Amino acid sequence: VTAATQELLAEKARERLLAARPGLDLPDSPAELAALLAGRWEPEDAGQDSAGQDGVHSVVAVVRRVDTVSWLRGTCAFAFGMAPERAAAWRRSFTHTVFLAGNPRNLRDRVAFDHVAEDASLAWHGPAEPRASVGLRRLLKVVSGAAPFPVRPPQRVDVPAGAARRRPVHRDLYVATAGVSFGQALVHLNHLVAEAVLDDLVGPGDRLTLRRVPRLPGVPTPFAALRVDADPAHPDRLRAFAGLTQETTDVRPHSS
Amino acid sequence: LTLVVLSAPHAARPAAQRHGGSRVLLAPVTVTPTKPLTPSHLKGLLWTDVLFRATRELAGVDYRYSNTVYHRTEQTLGFWAFLDDTAGDTDYSAMTEEQVGELYVQYWERRRQPPPAAALRPYADAAEQGWVHPATARVLAMWTGHYRRLGLHDPGLTEHQPPGYTLDEVFDYLAARDLCLDHRDIGGPVYLDLTHAGLPLRQIVAADGQPNYLACALRDLLPLAPDYDEVVLIHDKELDLDYRQLARVLSKAGPVVHRVPVDRVPIGDRVRSARSGDWRGHTVAALVEELAATHPPDVLRLGLRLYFIAVLGPGQRQSYRADLLRKSLRRAERLLSSAPAAPATRLADRLGHHRGDHVHVNPYRLTTGLLARHRHAPAADLLSAVFL
Repeated sequence: VTAATQELLAEKARERLLAARPGLDLPDSPAELAALLAGRWEPEDAGQDSAGQDGVHSVVAVVRRVDTVSWLRGTCAFAFGMAPERAAAWRRSFTHTVFLAGNPRNLRDRVAFDHVAEDASLAWHGPAEPRASVGLRRLLKVVSGAAPFPVRPPQRVDVPAGAARRRPVHRDLYVATAGVSFGQALVHLNHLVAEAVLDDLVGPGDRLTLRRVPRLPGVPTPFAALRVDADPAHPDRLRAFAGLTQETTDVRPHSS
Repeated sequence: LTLVVLSAPHAARPAAQRHGGSRVLLAPVTVTPTKPLTPSHLKGLLWTDVLFRATRELAGVDYRYSNTVYHRTEQTLGFWAFLDDTAGDTDYSAMTEEQVGELYVQYWERRRQPPPAAALRPYADAAEQGWVHPATARVLAMWTGHYRRLGLHDPGLTEHQPPGYTLDEVFDYLAARDLCLDHRDIGGPVYLDLTHAGLPLRQIVAADGQPNYLACALRDLLPLAPDYDEVVLIHDKELDLDYRQLARVLSKAGPVVHRVPVDRVPIGDRVRSARSGDWRGHTVAALVEELAATHPPDVLRLGLRLYFIAVLGPGQRQSYRADLLRKSLRRAERLLSSAPAAPATRLADRLGHHRGDHVHVNPYRLTTGLLARHRHAPAADLLSAVFL
């Protein structure tokens, strides 16, 4: 891993954190940033932001079954429907999301979900302060997707339609698989895609091609957004776990 | 005797058919056969036995107690693998329960984390076929002796009694009713999902495929439950949450399900675990040996039932007290010598008074009734049918 790459990843990581909380005091060196991200660093540790807002606003994603493509579509649809002030609060909490194993159908009489996937295999609640999801947390268990995230041929993701603010585009969505569990891949893709929706990098009617690769270096198209985190195998290093490219022509073959 | 070994969901049930009335399935929690029986176990066994023998005078009742089903749990399989790994080829046939129990304590002392399911697979597969590790076979042989001596109905301790469902059949049954959350495809566990009723998700199979006690109980009881009017589950307080879930699932299959919690017996105000050797100095084997030397079999059987059911009650407020047990034995002696031979009414009618709003007879009400001073002395037919 070259210093330049680590510097680039550090820059991307800093950009993301500062976009959520301007004025945050962050270390410059990639190693220190990696240590910060690898630690038990939670959004509340960042303290009050410049607007004087505090309190973590988390999303609880209830997961019955994971089909990665429909899960990505659901994540987009959920984020599209979010009111701007709630989206801002979630952003200040670094799009903090808790994945809980549960069947939305069994919970509909108890929980007012903010979005439920078409086949009811997934549902989203929040963003809200933790006390709003106490009941859900008591009933459900944190998802433990310990299996390796599987490698598959490229998959087409039709982002749900809606009130488009611009013409639809196509982008490649890369996700790293080497040493990455199913649960970890969900976390990385969730942050990347949710924040891309909030930044209008992903909009209604867009098309994505999900590409699973061992690692991200070597991608021909420049990235428009990158998900950077500490590398669990090397705690003093940063690693890119998922990336959304700039617009590309959708020419390569897919499997659905 | 009416116990039938049921290997298929629709196997015939002579007990139920003969009575033509209500059909009851009695399914107590089983004792892991890896250690000596203790007063806590004896209490549960005596409650179960009185409930079974009293209820069968009134209704068709099947007493389901399958060790085969629960050998599949990690606490048994892991112990077997540990024994073969450490002791190797050993002669267990002359060991005492305590000697096997000491090995069980060693197992828990050395165990750092659950053994991986893959390592237990040969044992799990063999247990499904009816194989039993010789250490457990030795323990069960000795327990069979205790049962005989104490007049306990033997529900087939050493018989191969496979459950009616495979694990996959349990998943299918539950999934069809939205009661199963299966995350195996992403490397997660399988949960029993009763969240619609406000009960938390309960893991039944670990991510590596190892089923727990609750999963085994579902394999055994789900296929049986629809054929009964009433299911009675006897368990101790530690398993309260699991048994609430089990009762909820079984009741969806049709029968009315009753839980009968019977707490353990504290020794010196403490309830400890077999894993830490709680049985040392307090085994059923030693207790029975000592009391049988000075008491005839009938006095021993009735006295133990009076003490562990009527004196201790279902809770665990009172620690074990040898003096009160001896008092119960003296009481038993008097009851036996004063029992009238010719009863005025039918046994079934007299037992019927001790049911609540259910089919089964309440062992506590029945047994405390023997001690009530204002009543007539219990007749010999009641004592011999239920208590001896």
